[in-house]
Amino acid sequence: MVIVFLVLLIILSAYTLVTRDLLYGVIALSAISLLSALLFYLLHAPDVAITEAAVGAGVSTVIFVWAIRATERFSPQDRPEKRNGSKGGKQ
Amino acid sequence: MIERMLLALLFLIGFWGIVGIRNIIKKIFGLTIINNAVVILFILEGSRIGNQVPILEEGIENIVDPVPQALMLTAIVIGVCITALALALAFRLYRHSGTFDIDQIHRQVHDVT
Amino acid sequence: MRSKITGLFLFQVFLCLVTITLVLIPLFWTDIPWPTIARDHMENFGMAASGARNMVSAIYLGYRVFDTLGETIVLLVAVSGTIGIIAHGGDVLAKGFGDPSRNESLYQEKTTLVKKQRTALLEVVTGKLGPVVLVFGFYVMLFGHLSPGGGFQGGVVVASGIVFLALGGRADGSTRLTEAGVLAKLESISFLLLILASLSGVVFGGGFFANTLAQAGMPEVGFIVLLNAIIGLKVGAGIGFMCIAMLGRAE
Repeated sequence: MVIVFLVLLIILSAYTLVTRDLLYGVIALSAISLLSALLFYLLHAPDVAITEAAVGAGVSTVIFVWAIRATERFSPQDRPEKRNGSKGGKQ
Repeated sequence: MIERMLLALLFLIGFWGIVGIRNIIKKIFGLTIINNAVVILFILEGSRIGNQVPILEEGIENIVDPVPQALMLTAIVIGVCITALALALAFRLYRHSGTFDIDQIHRQVHDVT
Repeated sequence: MRSKITGLFLFQVFLCLVTITLVLIPLFWTDIPWPTIARDHMENFGMAASGARNMVSAIYLGYRVFDTLGETIVLLVAVSGTIGIIAHGGDVLAKGFGDPSRNESLYQEKTTLVKKQRTALLEVVTGKLGPVVLVFGFYVMLFGHLSPGGGFQGGVVVASGIVFLALGGRADGSTRLTEAGVLAKLESISFLLLILASLSGVVFGGGFFANTLAQAGMPEVGFIVLLNAIIGLKVGAGIGFMCIAMLGRAE
């Protein structure tokens, strides 16, 4: 049971880091927090579950959405050829 | 055993997000993921020695260890403080440089100096 | 030249993997059981020492209360630092929450933007749900010694209720709880009360954070309830302030 949750968490966190739309990443991050809260409830830790659900899915989502709204939403980089080019330019 | 390995993988994914991705917001995602992995590790290890919630009603015995739960309560709070401060700093950096790309920011700093 | 660099990089990756394997495999394979001494002590003496049924609350506000004081200070510094850093950088905070010496016309355009994005559904649902969430937050806060919950959790739920009121309420509504001055005063007063509650033990001859209510003849658990209420108010006001400043507010 715990292993299923952990695999789901790993898939969601990898998706958070590779997606180009930062807003999708924020939503996946709050899904990670909700899954963690369920996992804490299954592991007999209801206090930590309440905290994680309120903080992770509520407050930190608000802060991230504010930051993305105030700046820019898409991250157009993370392409390996551009990184190689910049490295070659430095030498 | 296998839970620990999966948690180490989760931690390494967050670490890769911090060192390997050049978008600052995604680096902050990585910080949050690492925080989450550590919290899950402590709760998992503390829940190995019992099978009851640590609220002492009548007839409750063999509770799980409440000490790591209290510690991780503090850790979650500090985690959200770190997230808020990091996002504020990233916002100021964006206002000055106009980009989230760490290489372009580095180049701008290099050009000024 | 590039292939040489790539080969070196792969060699470094290989070295990293070998090191990680050598360090981590013994950690994963250990079979040492988790020590039960703290659990046994809490199970046998925790309720008699603190009076609370919820052992996590007993540790959080009884055995490790200095830790909680430090965490509260960290939260205060983080909220004020975040607002301070952002307020100097631009015009993205809600009206009245940023630097008051700045030109107010900068804020105006952002709040109209927020107003345009609101819908009737959001207004009705959040406005009606806000008081219910506030009541639930106070329940979680005040019954933290008996059930899961406590000061910080209840405070965050109260903050969500305040944000709901701010998003759904009208400008001439009956509550002033969503204004910047009220929230800032509430947070300052709660922090002052927390410091006074921690120092009250010194006055009555105990130590720092001594249980003065028990010395006055009241039940042992009263001090935990008092600290829960104070911390909940402080956390709710602080996080509510930060969230409303970032989200904007009904005008």
